[in-house]
Amino acid sequence: MRQLLIKAAVPLVVGALVLAGLSGAAFANAKHQATAKPTFDLAYEGPLSGGNAQLGLNMAYAVQYAISQANSGKSAFGNLPFKLTYIAKDDQGSATLSPTDAQELVSNKSVIAVVGPAFSGATKAAEPTFSANHLATVSPSATLPALASFGWKNFFRVVADDGVQGPADANYVVNTLKLKKLYVVDDAGTYGVGLAGAFAGQAKKDGAKVTTNSFPGTTQCSDGTASPTQYPDDAATVVSANPQMVFYGGYYCDLGLLLGALHKAGYKGKVMSGDGSDSISLIAGTNPTSAASGVYATCACAVIGKSAADNTFAAGFKKIAKFAPAIYSAEAFDAANTIISEMKLLSSGKTGTMAITRAAVVAGLHKITYVGLTKTISFTSNGNIKGNAIYVNQVQHGTLVQLGLE
Amino acid sequence: MHCPAFIAHNNIWVSLVVGGLANGFLYALIALGYTLVYGVLRLINFAHSEVVMAGGFGGLFAMRAVLGTSTPAGFWAIGFMLVGIVAGALAGGATAFVLERVAYRPLRKRNAPRLTYLISAIGASFFLYNIAGKEFGRYTAFIQTPTVIQGNAFSLCGVGVQSDWILTMVTALVLLLVLDTVVNRTKLGKGIRAVAQDAETASLMGVHIDRTIALTFVLGGLMGGAAGFLFGLQFGVIYTMGFVPGLKAFTAAVLGGIGNIRGAMIGGLLLGVFESIPLRWMSAEWQDVVAFGVLVMLLLFRPTGILGERLGREA
Repeated sequence: MRQLLIKAAVPLVVGALVLAGLSGAAFANAKHQATAKPTFDLAYEGPLSGGNAQLGLNMAYAVQYAISQANSGKSAFGNLPFKLTYIAKDDQGSATLSPTDAQELVSNKSVIAVVGPAFSGATKAAEPTFSANHLATVSPSATLPALASFGWKNFFRVVADDGVQGPADANYVVNTLKLKKLYVVDDAGTYGVGLAGAFAGQAKKDGAKVTTNSFPGTTQCSDGTASPTQYPDDAATVVSANPQMVFYGGYYCDLGLLLGALHKAGYKGKVMSGDGSDSISLIAGTNPTSAASGVYATCACAVIGKSAADNTFAAGFKKIAKFAPAIYSAEAFDAANTIISEMKLLSSGKTGTMAITRAAVVAGLHKITYVGLTKTISFTSNGNIKGNAIYVNQVQHGTLVQLGLE
Repeated sequence: MHCPAFIAHNNIWVSLVVGGLANGFLYALIALGYTLVYGVLRLINFAHSEVVMAGGFGGLFAMRAVLGTSTPAGFWAIGFMLVGIVAGALAGGATAFVLERVAYRPLRKRNAPRLTYLISAIGASFFLYNIAGKEFGRYTAFIQTPTVIQGNAFSLCGVGVQSDWILTMVTALVLLLVLDTVVNRTKLGKGIRAVAQDAETASLMGVHIDRTIALTFVLGGLMGGAAGFLFGLQFGVIYTMGFVPGLKAFTAAVLGGIGNIRGAMIGGLLLGVFESIPLRWMSAEWQDVVAFGVLVMLLLFRPTGILGERLGREA
């Protein structure tokens, strides 16, 4: 109990010090401020500089927006009995920088929880430190399946991992779209082979007839070494197998080339791919662009902009960020709000804000159910998001339209 | 048209062979650039892949300038393709000319060792494709295609033969015939063959060596640039587009007998078909394994290539 008191007191005092502007009269003011709301730091860790900065900024501004909303008292949480301060650690998405960031965050006792780390590699490197200090981390975007297997009690993520996508896609194709004759292609890269393999395995279990093939990625696109001259031949082999659907494990650039070739070869079936192809660039990368029409692209990331809440978020985000919410913004907003909702829950007990401790937040997140923008968030015991949480999108009239959860 | 039962039941063959031939014609056009330069200078112009890329961009920009964003219809819209081919060829020829001036001639004047040419060529190649990536963007751009080229030209045993394949083959065939005539029937051709046989003697006989070499580069560049446009028409234009076809064409040139013009043509066509056929049984991952396996076997039995080395000497 004494420890608990100290833990609660530290952020209280720190918060008061901040409010008092660290003046000479700080101590006297602190007493006065003690009747005001205690302050906690809600941290964000992810890339804010370097090559992946944009992805990190998409999330950072969303966390800032969530905090400003909560503090304003105008959010769905109402008037909270505590204040939140935003702090950020830039790990550049790198596994070499993130352990230092984690160390700084855990030694800052006013930090109550972390949104992040954004990247899987950085998460893997930092999590032992967070875990040893019972500091909850809720990642909006780390999708490496193995992250849930290390027994970290403080690790949570609001996106489905990479291992979920392939099987979920297969179930959707076989059970929802009712397609039984499938042609599964990968780009011979790590991501594509994994996704296509997981899809093919589940589709067979679901009773579909599956043909597999590998069309290695080309030099014209990011990672490949093969030649784009293969695609007319590839398309001919697909057409001769006459499938109802082609599932492509790979990225949009090569898929665009394949779609063009399939179109020319007279392919009439459907096409689906995963998050590697879930990009508006897929359409511009297909010649003619009409050949991309009707293609399904699935992603653990949600496209927002459907509901009024989505639009409020988009407008508020844009005010802070000066750009529209992009990939993983809504997930970061949900991650921050899940933590805030747990803090509110803890503070509603007898001991009030005294009950908000790092360990209590970790324990609470294991039981939480929070209805976020992207989905209803609750976690399995290893920190993964419950349910499939894979969204299916389709190219319609030159843009990607979200059809819903699979 | 009567269709043999075997093909009718395995009509994927038609796609593979015709598509392979179309690629083969592209390789042949590009291979000529390697073989011509090898003939007169005894060195491989490793920057030739960037000549192809320049042709792709030249054609792309010319088509954009002429067509704007429209997609012309009707048979005579095929005339726009001529604009693209000519623009691609000119861009390729100009790039090859500049390459010779900047990356080769200064070295030749100083009697630089062979290795220096190689490094100079690789340097020029890196320079060119990186500057193209920087200036023109790093995404694939597609050349506007008149509707007459978009679909299938005709059907062969139930398989559509794409119009752009036909365009590629016809163009390549015409250019190959023109080049063959130039090299074998004209004064310039005689000069090229003379320099290839013995540069010093040729110069004693009054052949202007510098000009002949420059024109050889330009000839190869015109073919490579046109091929770049035709390649871009099918697969899009991007700064890295020259790399693989360049390497394949170099292979085709060696396969046919480096320095031998007709050899380059045959080598290109064979490589194109070799690449395609295995897809009847195997995944595309095996494409290069099989194609290059065959290549190595062929060279083991005929080290100088199918038609033998040397430009100018009868095979």
